[in-house]
Amino acid sequence: MTFLKNIIGLIFRGLGLALKYIFLTISSPVWLPFWLIAYLVEHIAFVRNALIATDLYLPFKNMERTPLRFALTVFAIFIAFLIYGALTAFDNAMNAGVDLAADDRLVTVNKINFTQTLPIAYAQKVTAIEGVDSLVHMNWFGGYYKDPREQVITFAVDQTKLLEVYGDDMLLDETHHKNWLRNQQGLLVGELVAKKYGWKVGDRIPLNSNIFSKMDGASVWDFVIEGVYSGKFKQADTNGVYFHYKYFNEALAFGSNQIGWLGIKTTDPSINEKVIKAIDDMFVNSPFETETVPEKAFNKSFIARMGDIGLIVTSSVSAAFFIILVIVGFSMALAIRERTNEIGVMKTLGFTSRRIFKMVLMESMMLACLGGTVGLAASSFVIKQVTSSPQFPLAGLMLNGEIIMQAIILMVFLGLITGIVPAINALRLNIITALSRR
Amino acid sequence: MSGKLLYDLKSVSKTFVKGKEKITIFDKLDMSIAEGDFLAIMGPSGSGKTTLLNMLGGVDQPTGGEVFFNNSRVDTLSEGQLARWRANNIGFIFQFYNLMPMLNAARNVELPLLLTKLSSSQRKKSVETALKLVGLSDRATHMTSEMSGGQQQRVAIARAIVSDPKLLLCDEPTGDLDRKTADEILSMLQLLNRKFGKTIVMVTHDAAAAAYAKRTLHLDKGVFVEKDLAA
Amino acid sequence: MTSIFSQILTVMMMNIRSLPQRFWMSFSATLAISVVVAVLLSFLSMSKGFEKTLEGAGSENTAIVTRSGSKSELNSVLSNDIVNIITAAPGIAHNAAGQPIYSPELFVIVDGIRRSSKLKANLPMRGISSVGFELRSNVEIAEGRMFEAGKNEIIVGKAAQREFAGFDVGTEVRFGKTIWTVVGLFSTGGSAFESELWADTRTVQSQFRRGNSFQTVRVLLETPGDVQGMVDLVKQDPRLVLDIQTEAEFFSEQGEALSGLVSIGWALSIIMSLGALAGALNTMYTSVSDREREIATLRAIGFSNISAFFGTLVESIVLSILGGFIGAIASYLFMNGRTTATMGGNFTQVGFSFEMSPELFQDGIYLALIIGLVGGIFPAWRAARLPVILAFRGGV
Repeated sequence: MTFLKNIIGLIFRGLGLALKYIFLTISSPVWLPFWLIAYLVEHIAFVRNALIATDLYLPFKNMERTPLRFALTVFAIFIAFLIYGALTAFDNAMNAGVDLAADDRLVTVNKINFTQTLPIAYAQKVTAIEGVDSLVHMNWFGGYYKDPREQVITFAVDQTKLLEVYGDDMLLDETHHKNWLRNQQGLLVGELVAKKYGWKVGDRIPLNSNIFSKMDGASVWDFVIEGVYSGKFKQADTNGVYFHYKYFNEALAFGSNQIGWLGIKTTDPSINEKVIKAIDDMFVNSPFETETVPEKAFNKSFIARMGDIGLIVTSSVSAAFFIILVIVGFSMALAIRERTNEIGVMKTLGFTSRRIFKMVLMESMMLACLGGTVGLAASSFVIKQVTSSPQFPLAGLMLNGEIIMQAIILMVFLGLITGIVPAINALRLNIITALSRR
Repeated sequence: MSGKLLYDLKSVSKTFVKGKEKITIFDKLDMSIAEGDFLAIMGPSGSGKTTLLNMLGGVDQPTGGEVFFNNSRVDTLSEGQLARWRANNIGFIFQFYNLMPMLNAARNVELPLLLTKLSSSQRKKSVETALKLVGLSDRATHMTSEMSGGQQQRVAIARAIVSDPKLLLCDEPTGDLDRKTADEILSMLQLLNRKFGKTIVMVTHDAAAAAYAKRTLHLDKGVFVEKDLAA
Repeated sequence: MTSIFSQILTVMMMNIRSLPQRFWMSFSATLAISVVVAVLLSFLSMSKGFEKTLEGAGSENTAIVTRSGSKSELNSVLSNDIVNIITAAPGIAHNAAGQPIYSPELFVIVDGIRRSSKLKANLPMRGISSVGFELRSNVEIAEGRMFEAGKNEIIVGKAAQREFAGFDVGTEVRFGKTIWTVVGLFSTGGSAFESELWADTRTVQSQFRRGNSFQTVRVLLETPGDVQGMVDLVKQDPRLVLDIQTEAEFFSEQGEALSGLVSIGWALSIIMSLGALAGALNTMYTSVSDREREIATLRAIGFSNISAFFGTLVESIVLSILGGFIGAIASYLFMNGRTTATMGGNFTQVGFSFEMSPELFQDGIYLALIIGLVGGIFPAWRAARLPVILAFRGGV
């Protein structure tokens, strides 16, 4: 009986040990860097002296003295900044259209709602208005590729004018452009779409429309890919697909000679107001009243119509930060309380209260910055992984300087908030009460 | 008594208020300590010996009277000034060693030097000297939590002398140690007093420990009493 | 065996009695868990509420006809001829006069100003006839009156009125050149239709220049759920490129629009849980190290290490379930019944309310329980393995 018990005990102990080392091996990418830093600080005189000179040595030693608590706290902060980085980058990418909007571009839509159409004749009329450099009319096609869930953002456009208005954003091979203009069934495809479906120039592909059918009743439209364009900026949206309005209009079973909206380029951003007024005044008494707005405003309003993505992002990030604030704050307070006696000794040795105050604050700051930096790096890694997938439709998903700056401010803020109460307690701590506490 | 006057307490009082009660620990106490003295202070619990030591160390302030150290007043210094004064002039040795658990022996000894403007090589030299003096050169990189009580107290002594203060204040330095180890520690203090001229004030319960001192004062209810007759 | 339980109970009581010493630390872990649970439940109750609103709109008695592949009412277009052909299909209920009961409807989008954001959003406007009213269960005019055929009058759904500014009964609204008068407020028992504006079919056709076309046709079925007769007709007649679904089916597909939100909610809460877990572990390790001496003393006088293990584990679980309850109750108090609107399948805003249910509540408690279990098991392991010798050690 005891023999069996011993055997079982041995097995369990062996299993425990094996688990421990397996865990240590798996988690080595996490703890190894910290271990390395701790080792460097202790054994490389230069690093240590630099820390001593900046009075960060003792805060650092205090921070990593209980490795488990240190690891858990850093991990909690890490999570908060991981969420922050990923969600803010996502929010930014969603709003990239607003940032990238050109100042000299306007959008004219039906005043009732942008899903209502305008007569094709409007394009000619607006071209004549002074200050309009060029314009292109566009229709939402409601395209999808084979499966209705595989939506392709497809527009029927005045092919001759597309690049005159949007050429500043699109990079396109000159011969491809010419070929596309020549072929009425030609399709101009954005880089991201081409990547997603593996399309190449010369491919024949069918697109369906969930709105329009052809006169013969078919909802399949045949196209030949004549060009693939890429964005001039990293965040540029290359999810769009363009084809000839003529092909569209001539095949339509209903609703022909209607356009969705006008994209307009003005001769100078400073005259935007004047051009907007001229356009809208022109149609004020017609059955199709228009509303013209700068591209930036249009994109912003379009995103707002999609729902409160920004709100969801901010509330999630705030919730994450609140949790981490509470956890780190209380564990900092606990750590300092446990060190009451030591702080008393330090003060006795001649460390001034101000210096100890600073040390405690530095410790919480280091924790916040360490966890924050690693979290931000991790979110950048996650973003890289996600965006490298060809299925991913969002081009501008990345950590930009603004997000990183904000993150640094957040780290300092987190460090301050979590450290300030323990630091004040340490500042106020009376040597005699501290030393008689044991 | 020999040498010049190091410490002079002139009619020092200490009272504090506990609830509605006013408790007097010292009333107009006079005391002087010469340079090179090794003074043991004995007395029962509550006699005020720890408060006296705290006052000498500048961690507690008298409520009346004047305190002179090297002919300058210290009881009127601000908290920050006192901290700097302590760093320059006083070395502390505690009953429970009070070493920093996250630092190894050498780093613990180095701690007071972080308050000075010494370069890292100067600091390293001072630490080595201090550790050699207490006989722990070979343990410099050990963590103090792995050391015996006697070794820890020796690290604490090294820490107290590393910045070469004039005065060492010891609060029951052998209270947590066995007899043999206590004797080693006390001999070491004696050596520091005799060979290196450190002035030492030691509070203790233990008459055997007090025997290492040059003289012993008995404190009872805030007053020095002659006990030599009884002993 | 009973002694084991009484031992565990003793250790537990000891832990709980010493809780006040660690109050703030335990409090922080509990709070963190409650926030995680609240976040999860907010997401889940949002998508649940959205789903319920859309599903409430669908009936098994009614079939909806859309152009094939359009997937939403907005994208569908049906000419008058198509409407006439399909409504002659078998399986459609007839009235006393022998006419099939159907309602051809228009669906257009107009701009409205959201009350919450003061920004423009897409508002659905439906051209409807009196038959359309009969096809929808529990439509009620809550205020004012029904619109009159041929006049520029609209009635406004309760949710649309709640979420959008400027649709009080008696006010005039302008869409393009046309001015419409709001003559009534209607309710449909909380379903998605309440987010719409309704007006007379013919008037909408003429004012929005839709000729004689429609977006969809709703028909009353002879047998609830049976659309086979119509589907067969579509198969036979090449002119009919149509999808036939019961209304219930149609809307349940649209209700899935926010199912992505459920995944996001879970993903986010699980990542946040890891943060809260760090807090729980921290708390429990502190709890064990605070009581090292007591645990060792109990072991010394003969308590088993099993009791030390479970005593600690139970403390962690109690704290986390407490946190879970606080989070669930908080999200119930703050979220349940809260209304909002978001983009639905028709490219228009659908107003809905957050909907908490016992199942969601359960999900929240499970999440808290897992955090408590994982957060307690490692510290409990440490407690069980504390050397008994600690009890005899003096000093610190």
